[in-house]
Amino acid sequence: MRVLVVEDNAPVAEAIRAMLEARKFAANVVSDGEAGLDHLLRRCYDAAIVDVGLPGMDGFALARSARADGVQTPILMLTARDAVEDRVAGLNCGADDYLVKPFVEEELIARIGAILRRGDRHVLAAVEAGGLRIDLAARRVTFEDKPVVLGATEFRVLELLARNAGNALSRSQIVERIWDYDFDGSSNIVDVYVSQLRRKLKKIGAAGVIETVWGVGYRLKA
Amino acid sequence: MIARAAGVYLAIFVLVLLALSAGAYAFVEREYASLLAPALGTPEGASALAAAMRRVLLTILTIDAPLVAVVAAASYALARATIAPLQSARERERAFAADAAHELRSPLAAIAAVAQVSRVDAPPQSRAAFDSIVQSAFEASSVISDLLTLARDPARRALQCEPVDLAAVVAGSSRRAQPVAIERGIRLEVSAESAIVDGDQRRLTELSRNLIDNAIRHARSSVRVASRGNGRFGEIVVEDDGDGIPPAERERIFERFYRRAQDGSSGGLGLAIVRWIADAHGGTVQAGEAQGGGARFVASVPMHA
Repeated sequence: MRVLVVEDNAPVAEAIRAMLEARKFAANVVSDGEAGLDHLLRRCYDAAIVDVGLPGMDGFALARSARADGVQTPILMLTARDAVEDRVAGLNCGADDYLVKPFVEEELIARIGAILRRGDRHVLAAVEAGGLRIDLAARRVTFEDKPVVLGATEFRVLELLARNAGNALSRSQIVERIWDYDFDGSSNIVDVYVSQLRRKLKKIGAAGVIETVWGVGYRLKA
Repeated sequence: MIARAAGVYLAIFVLVLLALSAGAYAFVEREYASLLAPALGTPEGASALAAAMRRVLLTILTIDAPLVAVVAAASYALARATIAPLQSARERERAFAADAAHELRSPLAAIAAVAQVSRVDAPPQSRAAFDSIVQSAFEASSVISDLLTLARDPARRALQCEPVDLAAVVAGSSRRAQPVAIERGIRLEVSAESAIVDGDQRRLTELSRNLIDNAIRHARSSVRVASRGNGRFGEIVVEDDGDGIPPAERERIFERFYRRAQDGSSGGLGLAIVRWIADAHGGTVQAGEAQGGGARFVASVPMHA
């Protein structure tokens, strides 16, 4: 496995190289964006670790240009900023994952492993159900080409229902998958989200796509 | 913000103008009435007074209307002139904080990364030293994150709001605090009741976690964590069985780097962040006394409508 490291801070770059080599990855370090893009375009890497704050062409621009040229190599973005907008910006310009500096060695390796596995597997680009098209990469939902703007959690709830289209999901199944929490008491958080989704979907003509299954939970029309 | 200040200026002016106009009208009416006193008994006299007063009212309004328009424009310009420099100073301050954070994190990343790599080849006796270098770099980085948060206005636009169940927030943050509690021999009792609020799940979890960490530091043997709905507010309640907080300090502990009189220990930025998050949600956080004398913190944020 060959990993490209694009990082201008020499001690960090060398430390990443050492971490990768300790796991039998071959690492190649370059220190600016243009050189990084050159290397990526040669397409001989299995993954790339790219720092956002590079001199000249920054990490976002590098990822965007590489994707525009059809480079599919998975990219892990490294950044010293942790604002949510920056994370979203990173993922929107074609990076596969995002790690905030300073980072723990195990996490860096785990994330590289994860994006490498994702590269193997055929990535599901979109889910279609009930006339809805849910674009997982662009995080966009459309019904007959009409878009609807959803919040992050609304999107995840709809995606879960769509992936199980035609089958009813119970409220507790939805809670466990979305909030990673087992409500022993009663909570109507799922109903809150479903009613918000229904209201938004109705506006683009997709009324009745989410069905209530009495005594069970909710189901998206197949 | 500019519009609001301009509105306040204009409202004050309109009030003053109304009072003056009403005074002028009343004065003129009294003068006319005394001049026309002999004729007032007749219908002609009364209608002449009414007609004259209508003209007076009309004159006052024609003077007032352009005045209000001029003052509206002037108060907008004045508000802009006062507030715009403040806003841009605030903006510069925030950009400075973000840049400073970036510049500080890069060398910290180098320190942490090099120490982690060096640890592998280090003789066993110096491994602990490398571990503490790594840990200190992470601590410094989290202080930088906190400073970056506190440099921003505690406003809703700093949040990513959606409906959030405080039960999930409380359960999630307690689960993550569990290892620290076990290490310190503190029992964590969690009672998570559903309360759906409009909030930022990540920030509310941070709020809850900071309160729990603070309670674990001061508890003798147990910490109670709860969520519940209370009228228009959802609450997160965290109680410990420590020495409690003297009433005089209950407000000051939310200040940045406040040192407690009792033991001089610094709470760091944890409670300042708690207050920032509560404020940004349009909520509150208060310190009080738990049953048995420990500290009790209640954070309330508005329920989902």
